[in-house]
Amino acid sequence: MAVAHSRSVTLPATAPYYDELVDHDGTPRPHCAGLVEALHRIGHEGLAAAGRRRDAIFVQQGITYEADEDGQVVKDRPFPLDLVPRVIPAAEWAGIERGLRQRIRALNAFIDDVYHGREIVRAGIVPWTLVVSRSHFARAVHGIRPPGGVYCHVAGCDLVRDADGTWRVLEDNVRTPSGISYVLENRAAMTRLLPQLFAGHRVRPVDHYPQLLLAALRAVAPAAEGEATVVVWTPGSLNPAYFEHAFLARQMGVELVEASDLVVRDDVLYMRTTSGLQRVDAVYRRLDDDFLDPLEFRPDSLLGVPGLVRAYRSGNVAIANAIGTGVADDKAIYHYVPEMIRFYLGEEPELQNVTTYLLSDPEQLEHVLDRLGELVVKPTGESGGKGVFIGPQCAEDELEGLAAVIRRQPERWIAQELVRLSTVPTADADGHLSPRHVDLRPFAVFGETIEIIPGGLTRVAMTPGSMIVNSSRGGGSKDTWVLDEGAAGAPRRQRPAPVEQPSLPDLRYGGWSNQAQQQQQGRQQQQAG
Amino acid sequence: MLARIAHDLYWLGRNLARGEHTARMLDGVSQADLQSPIDDDPWAVTLSWDGVLAIMGAPALPGGADREEALRSLTVDAGNPASVRACVVRAREGARVVRDVISAEMWTAVNRLYLEIESGDFAGPFGFLQRVKERTALFWGATEATMLRDEAAAFLQAGRRLEAADMVLRMLRVALPLGREDGASDGQALALLQAVGGFQAFRRAVPAPPNAGPVARFLLFERAYPDSVAASIESARAALAAADHDARVSEPVLRLSRVAADLEFRAWDGEEQDLHEVLALVGRELQSLDRDISSRYFAGALT
Repeated sequence: MAVAHSRSVTLPATAPYYDELVDHDGTPRPHCAGLVEALHRIGHEGLAAAGRRRDAIFVQQGITYEADEDGQVVKDRPFPLDLVPRVIPAAEWAGIERGLRQRIRALNAFIDDVYHGREIVRAGIVPWTLVVSRSHFARAVHGIRPPGGVYCHVAGCDLVRDADGTWRVLEDNVRTPSGISYVLENRAAMTRLLPQLFAGHRVRPVDHYPQLLLAALRAVAPAAEGEATVVVWTPGSLNPAYFEHAFLARQMGVELVEASDLVVRDDVLYMRTTSGLQRVDAVYRRLDDDFLDPLEFRPDSLLGVPGLVRAYRSGNVAIANAIGTGVADDKAIYHYVPEMIRFYLGEEPELQNVTTYLLSDPEQLEHVLDRLGELVVKPTGESGGKGVFIGPQCAEDELEGLAAVIRRQPERWIAQELVRLSTVPTADADGHLSPRHVDLRPFAVFGETIEIIPGGLTRVAMTPGSMIVNSSRGGGSKDTWVLDEGAAGAPRRQRPAPVEQPSLPDLRYGGWSNQAQQQQQGRQQQQAG
Repeated sequence: MLARIAHDLYWLGRNLARGEHTARMLDGVSQADLQSPIDDDPWAVTLSWDGVLAIMGAPALPGGADREEALRSLTVDAGNPASVRACVVRAREGARVVRDVISAEMWTAVNRLYLEIESGDFAGPFGFLQRVKERTALFWGATEATMLRDEAAAFLQAGRRLEAADMVLRMLRVALPLGREDGASDGQALALLQAVGGFQAFRRAVPAPPNAGPVARFLLFERAYPDSVAASIESARAALAAADHDARVSEPVLRLSRVAADLEFRAWDGEEQDLHEVLALVGRELQSLDRDISSRYFAGALT
C-alpha cells in the first residue's frame, strides 16, 4: 500500500499502546485495510475540508455543547466528532455483547436482591454495611419489584482496552447513562460527510435504538388497555443533556415533560394536557433519584413530583431506570460484579474488571498508599470523571494531600491499576492523523430481553497523551462501526432482487408545444411570450 | 387566464416539487444504503439505488447501480432530464416566463437556487441536497406569504401537489415489499420515511413501530401529513375546484374527488387490503388525470 503518497495520510506508530487501526509497525489491521485505503484516498486536505463542513452542520443543527475554556463558558461549540471511525470486527463484538448481557443480568439480579432477600449479603459475598452506605442506596423502594423484575432498562457499561488489546469493564452506568443521541447523530453525520469511507464495509446500523427503548418502556408499563403512554422526563431545558432528552422524545414520538407537567392523584401519575389530565404509564426519567419526589427524597427538590414514589409503589407507573438502581452504579460495588456473576448466574464472567482495590480494607489500603503514584484513585459515588486522580500525572504534594484525605475516609475511595487505554488515529484541524486514547460506552436496553446497539459511544481524549475522555473535560467522540459477519472488505451481500419491479409510467416533463426532441435533452425552452 | 400561462404554472409547481422530492429521496437512500440492513428480511422495504433509478424512470445499470454513479446522474447531471439540476433548470425557465404572474420573491427564490446549482458551490452531495430542500422551502414559503390566491396560484398548487402524490406513490410502489405488508422489524422503512421527510410526523402520529405496513399506510392515507398521497390529492382537488369555471362538470375535479374519497374510505375500512393494488389503482388514476387536466385547461396541448 502506498503509505508515503504525498497527499495521503500518514499513520503514526503507537507503541506502547494498543492501536486499534494499525499494529505496532504501522500496518493496518486486516479488518481496517479498506478503511485505511479510503483515508489515503481522501488525504488530509479532504479530511480537513470535511471537518469544516462537519462543524458548520453541527452548529446549524444545534448539535453543540457548552465548553469550559480558561474558566469561561463558551456556548454552542460544535460537538467534537472525529472523522476517523473506530472499527470493531463482528467476532470481537459478539464476545463483548455476550459479556455485557451477562453483566447486566447480574447487576439487575443484584439490585433486586438488595431490595428483597439480600441473599448475596447472607452468603457473605458483599458486606451489608458497604451496600447501605452507598449514596444511591434507596431505602424507600425496599420490597418494590417493578414489572418483569427489570430495574436497569438502560445500561451503559464503559469499556476500555488494555495494552494487550483485552477488553475490560471500567465502570457500570445504570442510572441515567447519556450519550446515545451522539451515537445516532455521529452516524448520520458520517454518512453525509464521508460516504466514501463506508464503501466496501457492512456497518451495522444504530438508528433503531429509539424503537428498542420505546418497545422496552411499553413492555414494562402497567397499562390496563390500549397503548401505554410513555414520556421522557427532563430536569429542564437548562440541563446540559437537554439536547439528548429532546432527541429521544422526538425520535420516540412521545412527550418531553418537566416536573410542572406532571401530577399525582390517588397514586396515579398524570400529565397536564390541553384536554385535561392524561394518565402516564411509563416514565423514562433523566434525573437522579434524589430529585424525583420531595416527599421521599430531597424535600428541597423543585424538579420532583410529590407522590410519585407512592404511585410507583402502588404499581401504577413504571419508572426507568427503576428507583434505587444507583446502588449498582457505584465504584465500590463494581469490585464485586464478577462475584455477582458467579453467584447469581453460576457463570464465569466474560468481561473482566480492571483490577480494583477497596480502600476500606486495611491491607489493600496500605498496598495502595505505597503505590499511589502508579494507580488511579476515584471517589466511589461520582461520575463524569469528577474527582479522579491519575497517579503518574499528579505532583508529589498533591499525592500527599490525597493520601491524607483517603486515610480519613477510606471507604469513599477506590484505587485501580492504570489502564493504558488503546488508541485510534484521530484527525486534527489540518486533517493530520495521530493516535488518541479512547474508551467505549455501549448502550443496552432491557425490556423483555436485553438488546445491545452495535457499537456505542467511543469517547476520545482530544489532547495528545491524555486519557481523560469525558466530554465535559475536552473529550471528543468517534463513529463506532461494528462490522457485519463476513471478512472485512468483502463485497456487500446483494439485497435480494425484488421479485418483480412494478412497471411505472414514464416521467413526464411538460412542454407547451411539441418539442419532444428538446424535452428529451431536458432543455425545455419556452417560446417566450 | 391564458391556457399557456396556466400550463406553465402547473409545470413550475411540478418541476420544483419533483426536484425537492428527488433530493429528499436521494438523501434518505444515501443514509440507509451505507449501513447494512438489520436483518435480511425478504419482506423488508428495499429502497436501493436500482429502486431509485426505477422510480426516476432511468434504465437499470448492468450489474446493479453504483452509489456514486446513481447519485451523480440524479443530482448534478444536466444531461439527465430526471436529475434534480434538470428539474431546477426547467422550473427556473418556467418561472422566467411567468415572472409577471408570480411575486418577485418567488422568482428570486427559484432563480437563486438555479444560480447556486449552476455555480457548483456546495459542499458535496449532502450540501447539494440540503440546498435544494432549503431553497424550495423558501419558494413555497414566499408563495404562501406573497402570492394572490387566484387562478394562477391554484394551477401552481395543483402541479405541486400532483407531483408530490406521484413521487410518493412511485417510491412506495418500488420500495414496498410485495405480497405481505407486515414485515418484521425493519430499519429500511425508516429510510422510506426519511426519504419523504416524514420521520417525525410519523413518530408523532402513529404509535406502531416504523415497519413496512404502518409506514406505507401512513404515507398513503394519513391526511394530516401534508406529503401523504391522500393529503396531496385532496389539496390538488381543492386547488382545481377553486380555479375551475364549472367544477361540478370538470373531469379532473371529479376524478380527484373520487380518488380522495376512495383513499379516505380505505383508510377508515379496517379490512386487510392489498396495498399494491391500491398503489397501482391510484397510479392509473394519476395518469388519467394528466390527460384530463391537459384537455380541460391547456387547450389539449398534450405534454
